[in-house]
Amino acid sequence: MTSDREHIVKWVANEVMPHEAGVRAWLRRARVPADEIDDLMQEAYAKLVGLQRVDQIESPDGYFFQVVRNLLTDKLRRAKVVRIETATEIDALSVCSDEPSPEQATAARRELSRVQALIQALPERCRRVFELRKVLGVPQREIARRLGISESAVENEAVKGMRLIMRALQEEGAEVRGDRMRKTNDRSRNG
Amino acid sequence: MTDRETAEDIEAEAARWVWRLDRDGRVPELEVQLEAWLAGDARRRGAFLKAESVWTLLDRAGAAASPSSSAKSARPVSRRVLLAGAGGAIAAALVAGGVLILREDRFSTGIGEVRRVPLEDGSAVAINTASAVEVAFQRTQRTVRLRDGEAWFQVAKDVRRPFVVEAGAVRVRAVGTAFSVRRRANGADVLVTEGVVEVWAEGASRAPSRLRAGQGAFVDASAVVRPAVAAPEAVDRKLEWRYGKIDLAGETLSEAVADFNRYNERKLVIADPGIADERLYGAFNTGGPDAFAAAVGASLGVEVEVRGGEIILGRRRAS
Repeated sequence: MTSDREHIVKWVANEVMPHEAGVRAWLRRARVPADEIDDLMQEAYAKLVGLQRVDQIESPDGYFFQVVRNLLTDKLRRAKVVRIETATEIDALSVCSDEPSPEQATAARRELSRVQALIQALPERCRRVFELRKVLGVPQREIARRLGISESAVENEAVKGMRLIMRALQEEGAEVRGDRMRKTNDRSRNG
Repeated sequence: MTDRETAEDIEAEAARWVWRLDRDGRVPELEVQLEAWLAGDARRRGAFLKAESVWTLLDRAGAAASPSSSAKSARPVSRRVLLAGAGGAIAAALVAGGVLILREDRFSTGIGEVRRVPLEDGSAVAINTASAVEVAFQRTQRTVRLRDGEAWFQVAKDVRRPFVVEAGAVRVRAVGTAFSVRRRANGADVLVTEGVVEVWAEGASRAPSRLRAGQGAFVDASAVVRPAVAAPEAVDRKLEWRYGKIDLAGETLSEAVADFNRYNERKLVIADPGIADERLYGAFNTGGPDAFAAAVGASLGVEVEVRGGEIILGRRRAS
């Protein structure tokens, strides 16, 4: 059970998260409001929780796009008015998700070095908390003692740091993927 | 509909759950509370999965270790595990030459590898590229031998058992502090990031010298200490290898190239001596000599050529 969960967590970290930025960029171009994008992304990740196996998914980014697309289609169906651009963007996406993804393998590697850079860029106290906990495995109480702050402040710093990192990852992740999507969309508009 | 929880609130709460589970372990009470929270909104499971994934990414970003280090796990170790580890070490204690040695371990890294190793006393070592470290803890002293290369030590406080790093003849002693030692041909570089250390040399008559946080020095085999680093920021900068970075702030091209070549099989070569003393600024990945070469090429306006196992900077000047 737990190991299945760990497997999915790793798979999400390596194969899905690097593409979140691309999906978000696409949703923005499709004029989906920002708060709805946030909701959609959480719902999409929730769909992944239920997966029994992930190894058989050949193109995780394509799969993830598909999940988001289905969620969005459902939402639009329930909404009264469908914007023309939104509908067009959805069509463009189906073309895109069938393509193989040559940059898939490098995306995970890029992600790792980006995370390292992001930790470095955190506010000083956040960074210290992460260093002490993640690198050195220091318990929370000891972190609080060393930094001269309360334990709940340590917890808050950790939450803040994680959110800053999440934000940075989801906003500028797979630039390559994003560019390719734009091209795909342009093509479908022109033709 | 109006008081629907925002995705941002859920995200924050998910991050908090991941932190708590890491802190306390997956104890039943917490699991029950977590499940109740997750069941409250369809988005929460997604947010929690993502937070967990980010947390594992952070793991690997911190412990950018090679698969070979899996035996001596470089993953974060909770206090409980540390205690269990110490118990195991005592059980494995052996008497060698009349001295009770609690445990001896060897750790080494290949070119480009950085390894983090938690020690059983709660200290931790980050071992830089192409280095070898031996850990020999005794009752009265925690001894670590730096056989080769460079390592940074975060020392757990234990006044009754000082922590001594041996690098050739050079000795660095700390009680509870953090510092790095890099072995050189005739001595060692010592950089102190926290607290105070004492440095001396085995067989030299000179009295020990003290270095404090933010100071760095070269200590030679006769215990002569030559200050080498001016400011605390410079100490941090020189330890960026712990995060897979080389941070240049006015180093010359030849110094930077020597640094990159410590981490990579593919060596950078300066073909044009005229550019060797150019001063450089910027942060680079230790494992990315190509990106560095491209940046050098662009900023100095010189050619970069990849030939065989070498990356050649600048064209040889016609003599």
